[in-house]
Amino acid sequence: MPALLKLRCHFLASLLLRPHGPSKLNPSNQSRFHAFSPTVTQTLFSTTLDNGIVLLGEHLPGLESVAIAFHTPAGAVYDGAGRCGLATLSGEMMLRGAGKRTSRQIVEDLEGAGVQWSQSVSTSHSSFSGAMVARQLPVALPIYADILRRPLLTIEELENARQMVLQNLAGTEDDPAHRAMSALRQLRYPAPWGMPSEGISADVEQLGIDAVRSFVAAHVRPAATIIAIAGRIDWDDFVGRIKVLLGDWNTGVAEPVQSGSRGPRFRHVPHESQQTHIAVSWSLPPYRSDDSYEATAALAILGGGSSSRLFSEVRERRGLCYSVSAGYHTLRDFASAICYSGTSAARAQETLDVMLAEIARLPGTLEAAELDRVKARAKSALVMQQESSAARAGGIARQWYHLGMVRTLAAELTRYDRLSIASIEGWLAANPPCELSVVSLGKEPLEVPIEVSA
Amino acid sequence: MKFLHEQLDNGLDIIAEITDAALSTSVGFFVKTGARDESNDLWGASHFLEHMVFKGTHDLSADEINRRFDWMGASANAFTSEEDTVYHAAVLPEQQVEATSLLARMMRPALRAEDFATEKLVILEEIRMYDDQPPFGADDRCRAAFFGSHPLARSVLGTVESIEALSVEAMRDYHRRRYAPGTIVLAASGAVNFNELVESARRFCGDWEPMASPPRRVPFEPRPAGSSSSLEYITRPTASLEYAVRLSAGPAGDNADRFASKLLATILGDDSGSRLYWSLVDSGEAEHASCHHYDFLDAGLFGTQLSCDAKDVVELLARIQEIYQDAAGQAALGRDGAGVGISAAELEQARNKLAGRVVLGGERPQRRLFSIGVEWAHKGSYRSVSDDLQIVEKIDLDDIRRVLDRWPLDGPSTTVLAGPYPAATSIEQPAAAE
Repeated sequence: MPALLKLRCHFLASLLLRPHGPSKLNPSNQSRFHAFSPTVTQTLFSTTLDNGIVLLGEHLPGLESVAIAFHTPAGAVYDGAGRCGLATLSGEMMLRGAGKRTSRQIVEDLEGAGVQWSQSVSTSHSSFSGAMVARQLPVALPIYADILRRPLLTIEELENARQMVLQNLAGTEDDPAHRAMSALRQLRYPAPWGMPSEGISADVEQLGIDAVRSFVAAHVRPAATIIAIAGRIDWDDFVGRIKVLLGDWNTGVAEPVQSGSRGPRFRHVPHESQQTHIAVSWSLPPYRSDDSYEATAALAILGGGSSSRLFSEVRERRGLCYSVSAGYHTLRDFASAICYSGTSAARAQETLDVMLAEIARLPGTLEAAELDRVKARAKSALVMQQESSAARAGGIARQWYHLGMVRTLAAELTRYDRLSIASIEGWLAANPPCELSVVSLGKEPLEVPIEVSA
Repeated sequence: MKFLHEQLDNGLDIIAEITDAALSTSVGFFVKTGARDESNDLWGASHFLEHMVFKGTHDLSADEINRRFDWMGASANAFTSEEDTVYHAAVLPEQQVEATSLLARMMRPALRAEDFATEKLVILEEIRMYDDQPPFGADDRCRAAFFGSHPLARSVLGTVESIEALSVEAMRDYHRRRYAPGTIVLAASGAVNFNELVESARRFCGDWEPMASPPRRVPFEPRPAGSSSSLEYITRPTASLEYAVRLSAGPAGDNADRFASKLLATILGDDSGSRLYWSLVDSGEAEHASCHHYDFLDAGLFGTQLSCDAKDVVELLARIQEIYQDAAGQAALGRDGAGVGISAAELEQARNKLAGRVVLGGERPQRRLFSIGVEWAHKGSYRSVSDDLQIVEKIDLDDIRRVLDRWPLDGPSTTVLAGPYPAATSIEQPAAAE
């Protein structure tokens, strides 16, 4: 049963790192979630190189793999006016030849070593990742170092790279849920934070090689780059290799991002489809704020699992839709609750009305059993993440970006344990869902009730 | 890793792959029924029934089931394919008994008429959702054309008409016939307590009445070499891209050549680093171009997918045909340095790629559950991660050549286009292998 996975409520795993050297912690002594606490021994590492690169590591016993992710600060917030898509085009260009390797040799050398690689651009980062059998790490690291430091950025590759970005944009036009979410982010966040990181076709068509080269030179830089590795790791060996490959890398300077204004709160996107897609959103504290735990727990009660209120009321009781959920989307300084549903045009208004009613009903009605289930799901997800090298490499990097530190699993579980109906209701009373944004995408616009639109 | 198997007196198979280092337990019921086991008047019943299983038993409401899964912290879900219906949950080990017993009880659903009516609306929404998405029905239409009168021609979701016409009585009868203990495998992976698994099965499944199930295999004869290819259109004038699905015959699930076929598909049409990738995607001419091998109980196929600007679809389909001819060594492509036939270097790269995937996938109990469950449901056998690695390692160029010879990718094929491409315009059919 495919679901809108992008919107699932995520409780990020957290690990507290000492600045240097390993820390071994056994959270079974500290967790008070259930009597049956898991025994998970964490071995965590971190260090910062002189040029500002942050290295994070977690050894995961029992795994044969390692996963590594290089997160450079060359995110889409630096695209610039009229150049939406520059970070994405630049990220694609960096893969098209680096050091002594051609575009094809980069891919063949990575895949010949069995590396499952990926490249992506988000609002905040341009990232290059790989997962592999641990013994292949020495083969992969020099390739990634070349991509970061010595991308060829040749004019010959520009048109193909541009066409690839444009093809991807054309594909997203056929994905109604993606379009609704993209429209919502533009409403929720001030520019450039709400702009689509994949770009805008008209802008991408105008970008030249000089813009790409300038962007890479300025923003793919060691300071604020996070390199996270997890799995079967030899930390000292890894740090030694990174120092050789990237220790003398010194380029780029930090540039402030100027925030623009937000869009209107309501928007209808005309789209020729049987279903109408609905997205409802309001502000929440960002992940680095301690009360994000209260906020996301309330959101999970609303729409985070199959026993959540939205799933029960919209799908199970009324059969109004196939997909309905509520999730947490956080940038470093802004965050949002995002509720989503897709349903046939004739039933879309009722679906929106039920969603809005459940959102309005939330404060003052939370039940202890609901919170117990939210805690259980969060705890389970945290422990299961320890089975995946790629999930952990992503998790510790995300935490460093948001918090400037990594929390231990034990600290995370303890924080969840402190959640109570009183603490969440207290937070909701002070911060009830308000100033909702609503996006609809489909044949006909929907009516937003006056009490919401006021 | 350790593998264990036991069978209850009523025929229910219980299997487990136990990994000492695992932190979680995955458990699932693999029911040997899917779209291929339906008749025309039951079209879509397997998938609809999968939804109804979550609507409760005679002593458990739907809300209670949802609450219990969330209370366990379970990642629980289900899916239906042409051949299988699978209910699964990933939990922390201390919840194994609770998860197993809940899933087991769900296998005997109440199938209440009022729930059936409400859930029918959800199924219809699911059909509309997929109809609004790429490839806009091209995959279902292509499979129907490719399989003709074979049971695998039937789509999993059914149609709006078949779902509206389905009665709760027909579903109850279908459930009674298809959810007998001999057609179900209880599988678990990760940190499994096997004794408790068997005990849960005895307690909650031991009284299920055994019932003979009819044979599922139906001989499938792909069109003989030399017969013409077919082409159909689904017109979506407002779509941004054109979506093409092309199917041709491949080895079935009981054919040893299926492994070499997956390696061949990796070389030709993996999502990155393949011949299709370098020729069509890297150049920015296609949004997506891939080839994969799919095997079923009694049939197999190579599926090619392409999405691109509508004005380019004719040229790119022709180029894909050239790439397949080139792989077979029948014609030189002379583009991008790709040589005639498959090279040893390409084989080695694809082997390493697949081996990496096997190792990484082997670390996740949730993924291993699907591998071992489907393998046992289809073949009554078990393959470990080591077995899979050895299979990949042993595939050589002779195996690849044999697959290309027996199942020519450039031979007769079935293609469906969906998008703005004008249906009135004729596309020259790919040449059939003689």
